Amino acid sequence: MIRRALVIVGAGPAGMSAAIAAAEAGIQATVIDESLKPGGQIYRQPNGPAAPARGTPRPGEPLLSEFERRADRIELLSGAAAWGVFPNRQVAVSQGNDWQLIQADGLVLAPGAYEYVPPFPGWTLPGVMTPGAAQALVKSQQILPGRRVLVAGSGPFLLVVADQLHRSGMEVAGVVEAAHPRRVAGSLMGLCSRPDLIRQGWQLYRRLRRAGVPFHFGHVVVSATGNDELREVTLAPCDRSWQPDRTQARTVSVDTLCVGYGFVPRTQLAQLAGCRLRHEAARGGWVPETDENLETSVTGVWAAGDGGGVGGALAAECQGKLAGLAAAHRLGALDRGAFDQRRNPVLRQLARLKRFAAALDQAFGIQPGLACLATPETIVCRCEELTLADVSSGLSAGGTNLRTLKVMTRLGMGPCQGNMCWPAMARWLQTQTGDSLAAIGPASPRPPIQPVGLGTLAKEPGLLGPAGANGAHAGRNGDHACRRVST
Amino acid sequence: MVSLNTDPCQASVQFTLDGQPLVALEGQTIAGALLAAGCRAWRSTERLGEPRGFFCGMGVCYDCLVFVEGQGQVRACQTLVADGMRVERPHRAERGAGS
Repeated sequence: MIRRALVIVGAGPAGMSAAIAAAEAGIQATVIDESLKPGGQIYRQPNGPAAPARGTPRPGEPLLSEFERRADRIELLSGAAAWGVFPNRQVAVSQGNDWQLIQADGLVLAPGAYEYVPPFPGWTLPGVMTPGAAQALVKSQQILPGRRVLVAGSGPFLLVVADQLHRSGMEVAGVVEAAHPRRVAGSLMGLCSRPDLIRQGWQLYRRLRRAGVPFHFGHVVVSATGNDELREVTLAPCDRSWQPDRTQARTVSVDTLCVGYGFVPRTQLAQLAGCRLRHEAARGGWVPETDENLETSVTGVWAAGDGGGVGGALAAECQGKLAGLAAAHRLGALDRGAFDQRRNPVLRQLARLKRFAAALDQAFGIQPGLACLATPETIVCRCEELTLADVSSGLSAGGTNLRTLKVMTRLGMGPCQGNMCWPAMARWLQTQTGDSLAAIGPASPRPPIQPVGLGTLAKEPGLLGPAGANGAHAGRNGDHACRRVST
Repeated sequence: MVSLNTDPCQASVQFTLDGQPLVALEGQTIAGALLAAGCRAWRSTERLGEPRGFFCGMGVCYDCLVFVEGQGQVRACQTLVADGMRVERPHRAERGAGS
């Protein structure tokens, strides 16, 4: 075991700004990140040596440069997976074929969020992917996911991805937005608290419209079909609760469907650390409970960014700063006066951003009709290949929460540990039982939450470092899914 | 699919998919390289034998699993292609009908 003053999980906007704030206050920060380069999902950089077109700044500037400039006080473990948190803030990390237990005096969790995709017929077909997955292919792999794409779901991220795919040369067959224009217009006042984003969204919309991309507001994708790959997508208008009217369905031929209805916070590490969660639909579901300085119910553990509740990149950056300052204060590097002086402007900005996030949720927040897209034959648990009928019979046999359903049906027992199925199945369960999501409960993760090779664990804990130090490819090997050895 | 990379100098690495030689660009993940080679359905599920491929792109869904010689099962979207890497598509029969 090694000891570090401050460990930060995630090098997206929240993790980076937490590290910068702590480093500025004189604290050494150790940042653990899955990717080879910092930036997180939103500021994802190309993996390879290929540089983006000259003259265009990297997305995420100036944060990325500031983070890199602070290398004297920031230790970045890239290509590394934090797969467990044990009592007293001991973080288990693997990198390549090495692993280490890090005892952290302070721990900031900034793991980000992933996209919410409720099950619908055909959603497991190759060619169906999240908008973020398609974006990652373009950003870091420099390839297009297909030739002709439909971008569907809800929220402004669809515009960003549709525009990016269009500009990269894909034919965008349409954008399908579940929210009705009237609902979006009703939130306009709140949305105007971020005029820059409104302008950006409007520009993207205009550009896509001018390029002839059709928009289908108040529509949802009801099914995807094809033999071994996606061939067709069926969409239908939906009512205000996003319940589709299948009598008015129409079909679009595409080879790619990007579908996502907002984001779900990654709370697994917080749960393993023992942090209390609460359900906040407007922030993506289950989130760690925090005080005004973002400290969780576990002393010395802070939650920042979308992983602590979805709020977008700028809020993540502010929250990271707040958590970094709070950790520096707790670790004795900032006295109360200096802490307050640096924190207060951040708190004010966060209050402003909160208004925008609330308006976004009002405009695009998930409606209950989405829980009814799956038919009895639809796979609802991608890992265990369970259909809705399988889960329904578990429910009839008395499985009304995840724990009992898991035992009865294997729901959520696969390698994703319920990440993909549970947010949607909890909502489905709500429609069936009338229980609140708070009563139904979150999935309960078990370490390792990331694959660790048994061979790696059998070794003595080893030294970790930046992936670049031992060659560009170090750190991406040994991605063994050891939990699957029994099947 | 379509490669957006126009840099003729970018180093390439060679790997095999089920014994077939393929070329990837340095820094590409297995998923990126397979998609670039036009392969989208690279896994058959254990129970139903359904085709699966690339879904979340960030390592949370575990749908893109492939076998890599010497490493076992890995997430194709999280694992970089290395020179000489031998990648195999998991097929139902090869996995054994455990469940």
